[in-house]
Amino acid sequence: MLRTFTYGALIFLSALFILPFYWTFITAVKSVSELYQYPPVFWPSDVQWENFITAWFKQPFDVYFKNSAIVVVMSTIGQLFSSSLVAYGFARFQFKGRDVIFIILLATMMIPWDVKMIPLYMEFNMLGWINTLKPLIVPAYFAEAFFVFLLRQYIMTVPIEIDEAARMDGANSWQIYWRIHLPLMMPALVLVGTFHFMNAWNDYLGPLIFLNDQSKYTLTLGLSMFKGLHETDITSIAAITVLLCIPPLILFFFAQRYIMDGAIGSSVKG
Amino acid sequence: MKHLKKLALASVLSVAALSGTALGEETIRFATWDSDESLEIQKEIARRFEAANPGVKVQVEPYADGYDQKLIASFGAGNPPDVMYMWNYPKYYTSLMPLDDFMARDAEAMNLDDIPPGLINTTRIDGKAYGMPAGFTTHVVFYNKDMFEAAGVEMPSEDWTWAELREKAAKFRDEESKVYGFAVEAKPDPFDYEQFFWSNGTRFIAKDGSAVDGYMNSPEAVEVLTMFADMAANEEAVVLGIGDNSSGSALFKGEKLAMYQSAMWSKGGFDEAGINYGVAKLPSFGDKPVHSSIGASAMSMAKDTKNPDLAWEFIKFFSSAEAVKLRTNDLPIRTSVAEEMEMTTDPIFKPFFDMLAVSDSESNAFLKHENWGKIQANLERAIEATMIEKGNAKKHLDDAVARSQRHLN
Amino acid sequence: MSGVQDRQYQRQKFVEKLTPYLFISPWILGFFFFTLGPLVFSFVMSFYDWPVVGEREFIGTQNYEVMLTQDPLFWDSLWVTIKFGLFFVPFNIILGLLLAVLLNQKVIGSGIFRTIFYLPSVISGVALVTIWAWIYSHEYGILNFLLGLAGIDGPNWLGDPSWALLAIVIASLWGLGGTMLILLTGLQSIPKELYEAAKISGVPGWARLIFITIPMLSPMLLFTFITSIIAAFQQLTIALLLTGGGPLESTYFFAMYIYDNAFKHFEMGYAAANSWVMFLIILALSMMVMKSSSAWVYYEGEMKKGGNKDA
Repeated sequence: MLRTFTYGALIFLSALFILPFYWTFITAVKSVSELYQYPPVFWPSDVQWENFITAWFKQPFDVYFKNSAIVVVMSTIGQLFSSSLVAYGFARFQFKGRDVIFIILLATMMIPWDVKMIPLYMEFNMLGWINTLKPLIVPAYFAEAFFVFLLRQYIMTVPIEIDEAARMDGANSWQIYWRIHLPLMMPALVLVGTFHFMNAWNDYLGPLIFLNDQSKYTLTLGLSMFKGLHETDITSIAAITVLLCIPPLILFFFAQRYIMDGAIGSSVKG
Repeated sequence: MKHLKKLALASVLSVAALSGTALGEETIRFATWDSDESLEIQKEIARRFEAANPGVKVQVEPYADGYDQKLIASFGAGNPPDVMYMWNYPKYYTSLMPLDDFMARDAEAMNLDDIPPGLINTTRIDGKAYGMPAGFTTHVVFYNKDMFEAAGVEMPSEDWTWAELREKAAKFRDEESKVYGFAVEAKPDPFDYEQFFWSNGTRFIAKDGSAVDGYMNSPEAVEVLTMFADMAANEEAVVLGIGDNSSGSALFKGEKLAMYQSAMWSKGGFDEAGINYGVAKLPSFGDKPVHSSIGASAMSMAKDTKNPDLAWEFIKFFSSAEAVKLRTNDLPIRTSVAEEMEMTTDPIFKPFFDMLAVSDSESNAFLKHENWGKIQANLERAIEATMIEKGNAKKHLDDAVARSQRHLN
Repeated sequence: MSGVQDRQYQRQKFVEKLTPYLFISPWILGFFFFTLGPLVFSFVMSFYDWPVVGEREFIGTQNYEVMLTQDPLFWDSLWVTIKFGLFFVPFNIILGLLLAVLLNQKVIGSGIFRTIFYLPSVISGVALVTIWAWIYSHEYGILNFLLGLAGIDGPNWLGDPSWALLAIVIASLWGLGGTMLILLTGLQSIPKELYEAAKISGVPGWARLIFITIPMLSPMLLFTFITSIIAAFQQLTIALLLTGGGPLESTYFFAMYIYDNAFKHFEMGYAAANSWVMFLIILALSMMVMKSSSAWVYYEGEMKKGGNKDA
């Protein structure tokens, strides 16, 4: 009975989550005449697969793709290392000012982007980073509060006895971090990697403000260029949206196994 | 397929043109809000400028929908582009270069007389011109000829009125297929909306910017809003902007709309969708003179640009006959080009020029008061509220006036 | 002899003291490089009449005074944001937890289901809003079309002030895949032995949820609680692009009020003052949640010695 309920609920909810995406997909392959038909067309009579190619070549999306890939890969690496280090520091040590510093860390999540924008622009301009990918990559090496907080919460669910046992065996703090907590954190690290990947992949404001010329643009900026001041190219937006979803979805499908399998018990025993 | 190849080629070319700056080159940064086809046109103009000026590189920076935000960041941090599209002169003029001296110097070479002064006047603050127009548009009514024929409705006449438009619009309404005769905006861009106020003999704010009371809420203003609200209530028009983000041009393309009031920016999409459309002037309020808003794409120069002369050369090139001819997505600012391309007699383009001819007596509200942005927010609210309630224009406009007093100082 | 040992001991003591700071140093440095400067800058700015270009003028606390006493939009947008938060925060957590619990069971194709639920979080903001605009459109939307098939006359979702906020809540909740994943990760880290032991002792399923799952999951629940509050206050993209704050300011969020003051009205000083007020409100709320957490959050890895008072 419970089984049936579970599957029923899952399938119903899946439909809710998939329907809008399905709608985007068929919008991408509709012809202009069917785009605005009412009642809505649920499967286009004439599927225009070439819309994907047309949209892709309307702008230099291959260049955008390269830029996005660089930003996403480089910054994700930085984020994983820095935030796990910092999280371990907060979760496993007693030190002067820890609680105050942690509150400040939490508070940095709450600063609205609007006021940070101009001063940050000035700073990056002084560093000569405007119109380069650096403003989108380098800050990731300095641990984002959201991820530190997430990992810290995760580490704190790990029994302290594990650390104590390792210390008895003569391991120092770095070794405990590297040999014990990093493997234990794996599911949470995959989570951080996923989230950061998506943030960087879909970031619009950062690239908009810090990049100037089209050879530096990222995919999201390209996507937003289909929305002009007066007119919107709906077919191209839908087509590029569908294409942009593919790489993260494939990655996610493989990554989520690690979230599920890398649970504490197995690693501790191993 | 041919179309595809052309696009592919264009994107390859644009990347090639954008990548890398050789040593010894001078670079001009040019920011634009255009995207898609209009952007390609501007890149083509920039390329021709580069060809004519060896050693100069133009970096075209398209910001599209994020234009205002990006410009604010770069101006705020002291790193603006050298040349940029501009509309918000009151907010930026202190950081822009007045262009009068340049214009005076090159008046003859540029053949300035060829450009209607009304266009340059849209860029003036305190008498100084801060922008050089490169293209413009007026407002018209597009109508779907096939739908008119099928419904047996007479096409719009040369000098028609809102009463006539409403009468025609009512005949198209079909509940089953969701067809409407016309569309009214609940959240219009006030910049354009003022044309209806002007056409009914009033304006948003006094000419000297001293008062909104008696203007924004005048009987004529109330009449305009009430008329649009009535059109919505009687289903002569679909209301856009509240609950329907489907844009009017999308509905027109899908033949759900028989008439749509818009400007040049809609035309390309209608052509592409293969709509058999005609263009009519804006209707008038009874026998009052009709008046259109003028949207000029004008180019401004940052005050702190390192190379003002080169920047000016670039701006000048954008208003040259050669460049103006390339701009097929808006209208030529040069009368000679318009005539040469036979636009002034072409039935599709003529109404735009007819509107230009009668629309030089008013200037936009935002040029008249520095706090207009905040006052405008109250006006927008009044328009929206009237359209939601399909009435009560007087009450909402009075309310907007009352809320605006503290910004008038 | 004791001197050498002493020095060694001293050094070791020093290294021990320094170690935690070394671990958190990436964030500390980042704070000084990328956060502190802008923070100070914006604080100074909030006491100025600061247009983007042109003359800047020191005006003391006037920005704060105008905001609190003369500007109705300040209070209106704050109220809208609170209303939004009251719906969004609990639903985001409860529905996220529900999905996580469903997916934590052994189901066939669970990888597919997880991917589906995460799907909306993969779509970028611009496209997301376009999708919802199609769904909600009063006349031409798919939602009202489907409701129509069921014989229901759908409301004007985005056009009716009494529905628009709810519509935005629903659109925002569509992205709860992130919350689901966080809680799922938390669920996975709960030792299976606990459940097995409870099962053997005959503890029913609902009780296992309340007495094992929830306490063991509480650190992650705390995380989602606080980040949901922050997300609610910073809610901007969807409302900005979907309703533009309307109809009649019914979806005019506080973040949008700041955005308008900065980017529509060019009042950077005023916007900075707005931001500081928002900052303080979120901070106060988060601190309250944090303070309360010692009563309901259970840390398996809490350091018992030395009275680890958690923040």
